[in-house]
Amino acid sequence: MDILYLLIPMSAVLVLGILAVFAWALDGGQFDDLEQHGEQIFEPDADPLDRHQAP
Amino acid sequence: MSFPDALAGTRPAAWVDDPLELDVFTRWQKDGAGRRIAESSLRIGGMHCAQCADVIGQSLRRVPGVLDASVSAASHCATVQWDAQLTRPSALVEAVEAAGYEAAPDTAAAARALRKKESRAALWRLFVAAFCAMQIMMLATPAYVSAPGELAAEHKRLLDWGSWLLTLPVLWFSAAPFFAGAWRSFAQRRIGMDVPVAIGIAVAFVASSGAAFDPGGLFGREVYFDSLAMFVSFLLGGRLLEMRARHRAEVSLEDATTRLPQSVMRLLADGTVEVVSAKRLGRGDLVRIPMGQAFAADGVVTEGQTQADESLLTGESRPVPKRNGDTVIAGSVNLQSPVVMRVERVGADTRYEAIVALMRAAKTQRPAVLASADRWASPFLWAVLLLAAAAGAAWSVIDPARAVWVVVSVLIVTCPCALSLAAPSALLAAAGAMGRQGVLLRRLDAVERLAKVQTLFIDKTGTLTEGRLRCVAVKRQDGGDPAATHEIEARAASLAAWSNHPLSVAAREAFPAAGIAWHDVRETPGLGLEGTDDHGCAWRLGSATWAGATEDVGHMQGAHVWLGRDGRPVARFDFDEAVRDDAPAALRALQAQGVRIHLLSGDEPARARRLAAALGLASAEGAMTPADKLAAVCRAQARGEVVAMIGDGINDAPVLAQADVSLAMGEGALIARTQADGVLVSNRLNDAVRARAIAQRAMRIVRQNLAWAAAYNAACVPLALAGWLPPWAAGLGMAASSLVVVTNSLRLSR
Repeated sequence: MDILYLLIPMSAVLVLGILAVFAWALDGGQFDDLEQHGEQIFEPDADPLDRHQAP
Repeated sequence: MSFPDALAGTRPAAWVDDPLELDVFTRWQKDGAGRRIAESSLRIGGMHCAQCADVIGQSLRRVPGVLDASVSAASHCATVQWDAQLTRPSALVEAVEAAGYEAAPDTAAAARALRKKESRAALWRLFVAAFCAMQIMMLATPAYVSAPGELAAEHKRLLDWGSWLLTLPVLWFSAAPFFAGAWRSFAQRRIGMDVPVAIGIAVAFVASSGAAFDPGGLFGREVYFDSLAMFVSFLLGGRLLEMRARHRAEVSLEDATTRLPQSVMRLLADGTVEVVSAKRLGRGDLVRIPMGQAFAADGVVTEGQTQADESLLTGESRPVPKRNGDTVIAGSVNLQSPVVMRVERVGADTRYEAIVALMRAAKTQRPAVLASADRWASPFLWAVLLLAAAAGAAWSVIDPARAVWVVVSVLIVTCPCALSLAAPSALLAAAGAMGRQGVLLRRLDAVERLAKVQTLFIDKTGTLTEGRLRCVAVKRQDGGDPAATHEIEARAASLAAWSNHPLSVAAREAFPAAGIAWHDVRETPGLGLEGTDDHGCAWRLGSATWAGATEDVGHMQGAHVWLGRDGRPVARFDFDEAVRDDAPAALRALQAQGVRIHLLSGDEPARARRLAAALGLASAEGAMTPADKLAAVCRAQARGEVVAMIGDGINDAPVLAQADVSLAMGEGALIARTQADGVLVSNRLNDAVRARAIAQRAMRIVRQNLAWAAAYNAACVPLALAGWLPPWAAGLGMAASSLVVVTNSLRLSR
């Protein structure tokens, strides 16, 4: 079970890494407006949701 | 008389350089070299993608004197830093316009930046807490599932140390608001929700740390980092939802205040035009209003004739003709052709500002549900603290080794989680269920009042009726064959297709048009249409005199249109507002549940009463101004009734904000939708009936949840006081009770 002495510190470091990734996404504004895409369908002059789709 | 000519030689964007405007969207600072640096916020129009942001950013940076420019594609905003000695804001606006986009000063930028910062910080705290809690839970699992002696002591210590390490960010970062809040209420000598929470967190952390680093010492061997982290993330989740609701309310107020145009075209004595900030307008100024723009102030038309859309302000559903000498209202929209107006009232004196002010006042006076919850929470929290302290004192005499754990158990087991989740989780699930029924709720606390509604005030135009006119009768006036009436109708519809007058639109919607080739079609404002068919007959559609009729219809309700041929009347078409198809059934269903329904309308009293009688409503009042409507709602509230309001126009907005619960029609004015607690997306009144049923179910579930949480506390607190409940069981009980509450609430969304 000595492997635990490696795995548990590693998992703690991994947590810090994941927190850093989330911080990057948050700072990039990815969570600023969660309702924006849901409300898009109410805006009459908005672009179609999928511009590449054939009519 | 066309605008580009009149404006030649002046810069249309110069009005943004006006110091009155500048300070609203610009912050000043000095850099190291002593230069005055300004940072301005602009709203950008016409942006579609991230590439647009690059293009705008580049063209802004090319302006001499601009130090830096950042453009956000998501929020359609630009922030520009510029040197006050080298450039002016109008140069920035012109650079954006030269790139093919529109730019306007962003007056709400500061408040929006603050909201963004707040919301990011809250989300970041919640994520750190929730993510660390998951990891800590994983490290804690072996201790829960292993048989006695199965987990070696050194492995247990390793896991404890790992948990301790992961708890640090939760304690120092995520839980910081609780400690700050506890400190604030301590400094003010009051007790708040944060106090027992902060004490519980601190005691649990100190004791668990002691157990982790000195097993078997003063604090025993058990660590409860998992309960602590989970507890913090639950509480932060609740606060995040609360903050979102608050931000939405702020945004809606900002939207309401940005309806007036920011710049206007003022006529100078020599006939030239200058573009100035709307704040610069004074009494007696002459202002040119182009087609499609809102009037910036209350005043009188002095040149030209047009139609104005005042429906958002007065509830009048038809465009109002405006000729020389007629008064116009700020916030109404010029529909037909450019006019010149003389300003009579500006700023806070205008009717528009009066409505916005009414709305703001109604909003701040809205009875706070939270205040009563706080009054009730304070004794509960004191009781918890006293119980924990008493238990700690008693146990330090009976068995000092267990004293700390009993205190932590009591603090954790009574944690307000289940109690504080009882209502919000059910309300959230109810809001989701209503969303699927076509009712979008903006404020969660509306569910409670929707369930209790006793009196409903309902608007007429646009709410009970559709915004358009419907043909109710066709009267032949030439004594012709009634069987040929449909041919007459088709002819009227075909001629009406040449005009955009509301009655013409209604006529061509009412009848199938025949393919008739018209010659020499002419429209005379205020009278009607004229056209010649292939047989050379001159047909006229419009008012009685226009079509050659001599009837007097002053006593008849509704609107009338005559069709005449060669100066003799052929038929009369009677139009009236179309009642929504589902309105009678929906109102009957509400009345059957004991709700009293009153009709409030800005329209003629006779018309309002006639509709109310047809629908079987208790009472109807017409010719109501927004202030009258507000007074009617306040009177009902003063009688102790729970009042609901359904409306659609700007004139309803103050009432929607004042009513205990309010719903707006989806096709109504934006401002009404933002003031209402909920929106009937598909304009069906039946959805409101269904939403009320869901709200009543939600309140039953809230009562079940509260009963469960109270029973749980009543059962577990004595166990914890007696020392029979170790903190891990307390933590488990807390999580389980929360889970029961949430699961019960989720039944609503099925």
